[in-house]
Amino acid sequence: MWAKVYKFRWQYLMILPGVVLLLLFNYIPMAGIQVAFRDFQIGSSIWDSPWVGMDNFAFLQEPHFWTIVQNTLYISVLKFLFGFPAPILLALMINEVSHAGFKRFVQSVSYLPHFFSWIVVVYILQSFLTLDGGLVNQLVTKAGGEPIFFMGSTEWFRPLVVSSSLWKETGWNTILYLAAITTIDPQLYEAAKVEGAGKLAQIRHITLPGIMPTISIVLILSIPSLITVGMDQIYPLMNSANQEVADVLDTYVLRSGLQQGYFGMATAVGLLSSIISLVLVVTTNALSRKINGEGLW
Amino acid sequence: MKQTVLEKTSNWLLILLLSLLCLSVLYPFAYMLAISLNEGADAAKGGVYLWPRAFTLINYEIVLGNSVIRHAYLITIARTIVGTIGGLLVTLLVAYGLSYKGLPFRGGILTYILITMLFNGGLVPFYIQLNNLGLLNTFWVFIFPGLFSVWNMFVMLKFMQGIPEALIESAELDGAGPVRVLWQIVVPLSKPMLAALGLFTAVGHWNDWFAGAFYVSRQSLIPVQTFLQQLLTAQDISVVLGSNTNQEALARGSQMQNITLMSIKMAVVMVSALPILCVYPFLQKYFVKGVLVGSVKG
Repeated sequence: MWAKVYKFRWQYLMILPGVVLLLLFNYIPMAGIQVAFRDFQIGSSIWDSPWVGMDNFAFLQEPHFWTIVQNTLYISVLKFLFGFPAPILLALMINEVSHAGFKRFVQSVSYLPHFFSWIVVVYILQSFLTLDGGLVNQLVTKAGGEPIFFMGSTEWFRPLVVSSSLWKETGWNTILYLAAITTIDPQLYEAAKVEGAGKLAQIRHITLPGIMPTISIVLILSIPSLITVGMDQIYPLMNSANQEVADVLDTYVLRSGLQQGYFGMATAVGLLSSIISLVLVVTTNALSRKINGEGLW
Repeated sequence: MKQTVLEKTSNWLLILLLSLLCLSVLYPFAYMLAISLNEGADAAKGGVYLWPRAFTLINYEIVLGNSVIRHAYLITIARTIVGTIGGLLVTLLVAYGLSYKGLPFRGGILTYILITMLFNGGLVPFYIQLNNLGLLNTFWVFIFPGLFSVWNMFVMLKFMQGIPEALIESAELDGAGPVRVLWQIVVPLSKPMLAALGLFTAVGHWNDWFAGAFYVSRQSLIPVQTFLQQLLTAQDISVVLGSNTNQEALARGSQMQNITLMSIKMAVVMVSALPILCVYPFLQKYFVKGVLVGSVKG
């Protein structure tokens, strides 16, 4: 056995940095979850902090916490309802373009927003929605309305989140579907044409069934992310005016933990959401085994 | 084949819809460019849509004359280069080591790696660990935590399993050790995949604002995206005007009273977005391939 291990000494040496990095940045923080049950202050050692039982979970009785859970689910469900079908629709549309050059152009342009940070996207929103000469408010005033302070409005927050994430990711998410469409046998379309099937009938009876496996995989993979709504996007959009609808679990952990120093409580919130997402992933995997015949791992 | 009238109109409708979609992606950049090239006070009156009305370069002179922004750029470039090269190297070595099927404890190591994809300690314990390691408020907090990407490792592993074993065996018969096999056979064959993953890693570093906002507090360490994030909520332009080395432009700007927070913001965001807009057309062929390698389950 040890002779065999020695034979692979180079391979072990190559793997070692990865193993050490995971230990430092993943496994030790997992052990740090005990902060959720201790009274920890920064600067002291985790292991010396006194145990406090379930004291850090007192937030479960605060109505404010449940508002945040509600906000999180509201945003993630909305994003899913719009964000899941949109790339399928767009991929079907792009596929119907007969001019190869235009098709390539549309693909290139629609992938582009994926490469910009959410910060840049929020700047774009600001530039269009600002009260000082923003394009949208100019149109609103021209139509006879009062300028709207979109960025600081509780009603407009969710539409902004959904539409900006559609703008940023829809094109990018068509890549998988477009690749799946190219694997469909062209003879099927020829046969359908001979039978006199129109474009819509071809989409319904050939293209959609052809990409169904991809659709179901994407659907399954999106389930675990229901609990995380993308702090990268929410945090830059949030301000004191829209916080009551914008505050989600991730921003709550960030604020109470890193900014206000309630380490125990923030760790407890994080632990709950980690457990929920673990349950979602495991359920999803079982679901995938049942539907696709194979799990995710 | 003859097209019916219905098909023809629906074809045109399709082209129209997709053109509008492209416009919705491209127009914001044209709009922001126009605002950034316009005198601020004038732009605030409205009416600047595509072309600057009162053309000026003052916004860019102020932004590029700001030593904080210039320094933030250096940080971003440094972390993108170091983080991408280091990250690809570490991840490649792990994937290559694990591509040997006969490796003792291989299954155990794979499980050890996989678990980190399913469960994590959360933000606060991670932060405490960064503090314990002394990484907070250093440049290395941008590099070390992301050096080993589990996701990229699995993509690479999957790719390497597609390399014909006969190729590697014949090299080994010629007396090549694992290191030589890696550099002379595996790496040359993996170039498109490495390019795609390198691109994703680099974009991730370029766009990350979070680490700069929460893991460092020294202003001399913040990257461009964090500067943008701070400026997003700024109430006045002192953030940009302070520590400005281009005093001459500053004097002219304040004299004419034509710079506003918005026009400065647009110039900053254009300066951060332009590099991506410029390299994007050349990199396109790589990333589509990368997404597809990653998506095919092993």
